Amino acid sequence: MEPKTKRFKAGSAAALADERIQANLAGLYSGFHSARISAASATSGWEELRERGRRIKAHVIENLDYYLDLLARNVEKAGGRVFFARDADEASNYVIGVAKSRNIDLVIKSKSMLSEEMGLNDRLESEGIEPVETDLGEYIVQLAGDTPFHIIAPAIHKSRGEVSDLFAQKLGSPAYDDIEDLTREARRQLRGKFMTAGMGVTGANFLVAETGTVTLVTNEGNGRMCTSMPKVHVAIAGMEKVVPSIEDLALFLRLLIRSATGQMVSSYVTAVTGPRKQDEEDGPEEFHLVIVDNGRSRILADPDLRESLYCLRCGACLNACPVYRKVGGHAYGWVYPGPIGAVVSPMLTGLSDGKDLPYASTLCGACKEACPVKIDIPRMLLYLRKELTEGDEKASSNLGERIAMKGWKAAASTDKTMRAANLLARLGAPIASKMPGPMSGWTDHREAPRAARPFRSRWQELKDQ
Amino acid sequence: MSEDSRPRRVELFVTCVVDNLFPETGEAALRILRALGAEVSFNPAQTCCGQPAFNTGYWNDAKPLARRFLEQYDGTTPVVMPSGSCAAMARHYYRQLFEDDPVNRRRADLLAPHIYELTEYVVEQWGTDALSSLSDLDVPTAKVAFHESCHAKRELGIDSQPKALLDSLSQYERVDLYQSEVCCGFGGTFSVKYPDISGAMLSDKLDAIEATGADVVTACDSSCLMHIRGGLQKRGSAVRAAHIADLVADYIPSPSMGESLPRTPIRGLG
Amino acid sequence: MSDREAFLQSIRGALGRQDSGLTSDAPTSAGPPDQLEERARRASEIASRDADNLFDVLSNVAAGAGWNVAHVPDARAAGEYVLKLAQDLEARSAVYSLHPVVQAAIGEADFDTAGITTIPVALDRDDPDSDEDADRARLRSIMEAADLGVTGVDYAIAETGTCVIIPRRGVSRLVSLLPPVHVAIVERGQALPSLDELFTLRRDDFIRGDFGSYMNLITGPSRTADIEYTIVTGVHGPGEVHMVLVG
Repeated sequence: MEPKTKRFKAGSAAALADERIQANLAGLYSGFHSARISAASATSGWEELRERGRRIKAHVIENLDYYLDLLARNVEKAGGRVFFARDADEASNYVIGVAKSRNIDLVIKSKSMLSEEMGLNDRLESEGIEPVETDLGEYIVQLAGDTPFHIIAPAIHKSRGEVSDLFAQKLGSPAYDDIEDLTREARRQLRGKFMTAGMGVTGANFLVAETGTVTLVTNEGNGRMCTSMPKVHVAIAGMEKVVPSIEDLALFLRLLIRSATGQMVSSYVTAVTGPRKQDEEDGPEEFHLVIVDNGRSRILADPDLRESLYCLRCGACLNACPVYRKVGGHAYGWVYPGPIGAVVSPMLTGLSDGKDLPYASTLCGACKEACPVKIDIPRMLLYLRKELTEGDEKASSNLGERIAMKGWKAAASTDKTMRAANLLARLGAPIASKMPGPMSGWTDHREAPRAARPFRSRWQELKDQ
Repeated sequence: MSEDSRPRRVELFVTCVVDNLFPETGEAALRILRALGAEVSFNPAQTCCGQPAFNTGYWNDAKPLARRFLEQYDGTTPVVMPSGSCAAMARHYYRQLFEDDPVNRRRADLLAPHIYELTEYVVEQWGTDALSSLSDLDVPTAKVAFHESCHAKRELGIDSQPKALLDSLSQYERVDLYQSEVCCGFGGTFSVKYPDISGAMLSDKLDAIEATGADVVTACDSSCLMHIRGGLQKRGSAVRAAHIADLVADYIPSPSMGESLPRTPIRGLG
Repeated sequence: MSDREAFLQSIRGALGRQDSGLTSDAPTSAGPPDQLEERARRASEIASRDADNLFDVLSNVAAGAGWNVAHVPDARAAGEYVLKLAQDLEARSAVYSLHPVVQAAIGEADFDTAGITTIPVALDRDDPDSDEDADRARLRSIMEAADLGVTGVDYAIAETGTCVIIPRRGVSRLVSLLPPVHVAIVERGQALPSLDELFTLRRDDFIRGDFGSYMNLITGPSRTADIEYTIVTGVHGPGEVHMVLVG
């Protein structure tokens, strides 16, 4: 997917101006966010689970080479093939190669964020292979030529009316008022694809190193279709998705699902270990696992950012984030939106283009509080801000702001020069009711405070009272 | 804790925002601490904890300020500040700031347990009885909505203390604020870089505040309140915004005047 | 150097290491690997010892997760339940997997008189001339057209109201997926307290070389909330699911 991380300001302005999007985003708090909190409190020892999940993730990431090697050997033992792809192109080329070798012209897909990273659908289409997204939200997004708005609810920015119009236009279906009818229409359309596709492409929520198992968490059943119906199943996965043992799944399924939707478990959890075995009734003849780096080793190489690879992609930090709940997923300009996206998108696509993202946070800490593996996102945002300001990337940062900060430091370094007007001007806070230039945005929404006689100069009178 | 073992001496760090913009909140904090029986020092060399620079990425600019802070306090006396955000900076983020500077990192570690946000200090070290017994008013005179400022809540884990403090003063009726734990949208430079996103967040906060029917909204941080107050004023709301220290101090008899009734308007509201 | 070795080497480089191998033991989420057998034994023991209690919890949680739950005394009664359901649905055909409890249940009820065809889903492996692909396609069409799919389970999970099905000979992946209604028959003693016991037992299976290529955890109907957060059931899988507890 073409990164548009440069466009955060424009993208967020568009979202703020769209009433439909604002209404749908407002639903995240009473919906997913509240459901997560209820599910966590219904789970005994939730805090301990988070702690254990974090420890296991940390261990895996510190020993990623070992676990990937073990995983690959066990997938092969189960009769599957493994390909290690350094970047998106290598990964897409491999998938295309497998499809062509079997003369496959229809590929059914189960939701995968990595596939969005790879721009796999465009690549398949340009090779004359039809990719069909089968998760309802992804299907809508694909028909609309759009990109996902949320990690677990890709089409949540669309109203039923928009979906109905889209189906009418693209599928020739009648106009529907009812969401159930729209869902039935999608079921009918996609059944035919499931019955005839030659290849199923899925992502992976967890890769179990010890058994060579790919685990998928779904609610609709499309993941089961994609892993059971076609003759070829290709799973694509970011290299950070490994867990050591199948016994770890009990813990990680609880953490992931309860944080994502607030369900105690999703409708389906599917565990795939290689292609179908000799005496099994059905399942694919071929199984491929594509393990993808695509910039992840850059994150791995930086100990300050490494923990962003613990991410389970549950979306809890998006739902918890008051900024995401205003600007939505498209503003962030790439596959991963919200607080975790503000860390990983600039790292995967280039920090200088994505320099607005680490600042797109009030550092309120709601993301860290929500994260099932306690990823300290605010700490990493602060670190990226420092890198943008003082690190190798500083050439791209805001010169005016840099000068203001220097001046403010000088003012605050001595108590004598620490005076209100000076301080506030340096802080960037307005002191007149309507500020000109770059400060006018502030006073559009708020009255400015007035400077007062500082406490320090009152202290002489106060101290002996 | 027995009366005698209570640390009587405290250092008041008013924060740069209170010092320059809301000095009456500094006086309120002083009054509260003195009413409890604490011996309050104010180091006039204090300036800023360095958080604005740190949060914006200017760590090299934040470091001298943080070092200055660390040098001003010896790690034996509680340092109390009417701000969860500045307390979080001094207690937690100095460690990140000085990650590669073992000397200052150690200083920060040693000082961290002595850093207190005001309500945290009052409730944990003195309890709520000491203040509530000072006032003889028992009829609610104001409905108060409490906004949970982010760093107090999530960095310092301050949750019950300010609420307990308000609830101990029978003059205040605390009303439930929907999404009280959600950020008001200030975020320091965030509100300058992204004034419209910040404004949209603020607007939700103001709607929730107005829906409570409260007379006043309060919080542990002057900067959040500056933002909220600015928004309330802009929309011509009747709801006032006041720091929790101002609300509490209004019910403490002044030592010089023996006053035990609240003055009107409530301090910090006018 | 192979592509794989180069890939792993670049990861070591990013981690600042040269050698492969673990830097520390894996923190376990379940218990030490060398006590796996003991854990697995305990899990099986709990399932039979606490069977009544686990059935009670399972039935409550499953109902909350969207299953229609029934508790019947024996396979015969399970068969009657399925027949009655099929009649209510005006079903013309039902497919089923070859779990013994399902075969017993289907065998005990008189579907023929009700005019309902019942079809076991299993490839014909006895005829050396049969084309496996064609046979599979035929079964698939039958499942696609069926009104009802009936399966047994390998385990059920009280914590989450889940049925666990491990496909193998006579147990298709699709009986519980393609028809619009799924009935899962759970036998006394199959319910486990939680996901922990399930994965312990599966790890034990793996070590003993009895793993299969697939496992499904099924909890309630197929569902989505992708349009306006509105929950709709029966997206791609069954919209109606029944859990019949036997014994």
